[in-house]
Amino acid sequence: MAKVGIVLLVGVILVATFAPFLATQPPQEQNLEDSNIPPAGLTYSSEEIAFVDGERQTVTNTVQGSLDHPLGTNQLGQDIYSRTLYGARTSLAVGVLGTVIALLSGVTVGLIAGFYGGRVDDGLMRFADIMLAFPALVLAIALIGLLGPRTLEIPDPFVAAGLADGMPETFTLPLTVTLVVALVNWVWFARIARGEALTVREKNYVKASRSLGASNRRLMLKHVLPNSLTPIIVLATIQVAVIILLESSLSFLGFSGTNLSWGFDINQGRDLLATSWWISTVPGLAIVLAVIGINLVGDWLRDALDPDIGGERGGM
Amino acid sequence: MSEPILRISDLSTRFFTKSGQVNAVESLSVSIDEGEIFGIVGESGSGKSVLARSIIGLIESPGQITGGKIEYRNAPLADEFRDAHPDAVNGDYVDLRSLPEEAVRSLRGPSFSMIFQDPESSFNPTLTVGEQIAEAVEVQRRASSNPRSTKARTSSSEYSLGSYAYGAVMPNRSFVSSKSKDRAIELLQQVGIPDPEERVDEYPHEYSGGMLQRAMIAQALAGEPDILIADEPTTALDVTIQAQVLNLLREIQDETGMTVLLITHNLGVIARMCDRVGVMYAGEVVERGTLSDIFDTPVHPYTKGLLGSIPDLDTTGGRLQPIDGNVPSLMDEEMGDRCYFADRCPKAMEQCLEEPDDASVDGGTDHEVKCVLAQTEYDESQALGDSHFGGGDT
Repeated sequence: MAKVGIVLLVGVILVATFAPFLATQPPQEQNLEDSNIPPAGLTYSSEEIAFVDGERQTVTNTVQGSLDHPLGTNQLGQDIYSRTLYGARTSLAVGVLGTVIALLSGVTVGLIAGFYGGRVDDGLMRFADIMLAFPALVLAIALIGLLGPRTLEIPDPFVAAGLADGMPETFTLPLTVTLVVALVNWVWFARIARGEALTVREKNYVKASRSLGASNRRLMLKHVLPNSLTPIIVLATIQVAVIILLESSLSFLGFSGTNLSWGFDINQGRDLLATSWWISTVPGLAIVLAVIGINLVGDWLRDALDPDIGGERGGM
Repeated sequence: MSEPILRISDLSTRFFTKSGQVNAVESLSVSIDEGEIFGIVGESGSGKSVLARSIIGLIESPGQITGGKIEYRNAPLADEFRDAHPDAVNGDYVDLRSLPEEAVRSLRGPSFSMIFQDPESSFNPTLTVGEQIAEAVEVQRRASSNPRSTKARTSSSEYSLGSYAYGAVMPNRSFVSSKSKDRAIELLQQVGIPDPEERVDEYPHEYSGGMLQRAMIAQALAGEPDILIADEPTTALDVTIQAQVLNLLREIQDETGMTVLLITHNLGVIARMCDRVGVMYAGEVVERGTLSDIFDTPVHPYTKGLLGSIPDLDTTGGRLQPIDGNVPSLMDEEMGDRCYFADRCPKAMEQCLEEPDDASVDGGTDHEVKCVLAQTEYDESQALGDSHFGGGDT
């Protein structure tokens, strides 16, 4: 299973990186004449009532999918294939960046709480518990309301180098969403890091190092942190998937600040689910595959890094 | 005789646990002379390790040093703190308990260092042995580059938070300067590790137990400490390696003239290594004196009992004579003002229900005993029956 996970994950990463080359047309380009075209190989017929020469008739419209739009188009005639490729960029960027921010802040808090213990521990961890008491999505929406939907335009290096003409020149990173998903998820890192720090600080090598005059900062960063990393790495992997889901939920609800996102696309096709089902289904499948891939890799990492299992049951 | 380098008086260390207060070290007084090997011997649970950790300031919650002084003779240090902390300084002596935590920390390494019982768990598995020794070298280097300033010993721009974070992310980045690494190789050589240039880059799991113990001694020596505390340094090793490690300690002590506080439950190790000995029982030093005072003319019945329970090759066939009973519980409510050994003592008398004072044997020497027998003869008519201790189940 780990192989499947790695293939999926590497696939998502490659797609996100090389989206300008893989896309058939700019993801934002609208073409209202080509709206609601089904994926290649499928035909879609709709009956509508029209008045031809003053008579009421039932006209059957048949639209044929073609390789021009391999996964069809949406209501605005945008190419779903290209939009899904670019959506991978948003999901992955928010997922990874959000996890990194959550990890850095959570591990810092957890390490300090676990290492010093006592009142410091109580104070920090009770605050973390309070954060946990809020439902993640509600907290995220409240925070976005507070901060406003800021975005960051990052120039696309491929386009800037003239390798992919016609594609969007910048990539829109939803800053607020990235920050908010990190704020919602840092608690998990704090808890894990604290638990590990509590165990590791009792180890003899920490005491030995202290008896040689090492400072608390040195003990934390050189001895406690490196020996606490394993579960933190595993958690980080899983959190990328959790954050991708959270980002999709937020952009589905329209809070993302970018309109190139899987969740946003799902929302666009929501009203047309009965007729043009592919508009929502394609980005939905993309989310499923990305999350499954990351989770499988996370499971494998957990087994591989667990000395009790020895990495053999990981399937690699 | 010169002034002792370490003077511990009335030291009490207590642990405040959920089930009650444990008096692990109880008004303990002992002086250690410069350049000697002082042995502390006692059963498990007699408070030997707690004493060691109290000296170096590593007692952690729920433990706490509740009273007494740990005075360390160091004239420059005394001058440094004379104005800022007048109550901590007494002549050339500095009371470690009254110094600020930062100052005490700066003494760990250059003044005190410690060898632990279990070498395998005393090394960080994620760092090379060399790096961990070099870490201790760096502490010492910073101390000697500016010996007057406590601040210089404890903080340095070379080791900014950024470089720590970088090192945590980039595991292969060496933290230590090549100078410290060279010194680490030298130290490994000094403790008899073969091929130190190669071994310095190996991880702890690539070392054997005996080699790790040597490496730990190297680490402790890195700071060129005045006082080396060795807490059961040979317990985890097999007998031949034990002998090697003890020889090594002895050689290094001869070379450097540092003071060693050797803590062990093994009387053989004491006999072989030490100049003076303190016998610990229930958190107190019950008898102290030179090696021959303790081994040839012991006074305290507990010391006699310990010596009596060593197997003797000359008198075969007889049974060993263990000391009856167990070390008493050190829970506060069960300890009273009496001799804690009385209920196991074959020569307990009615006077033993009061706490005995330290008394000098033969007056004038430093052979001291915490027992009434130091001054009085055993009188059978005043012997205590078992009934005094609530049923004679011991």
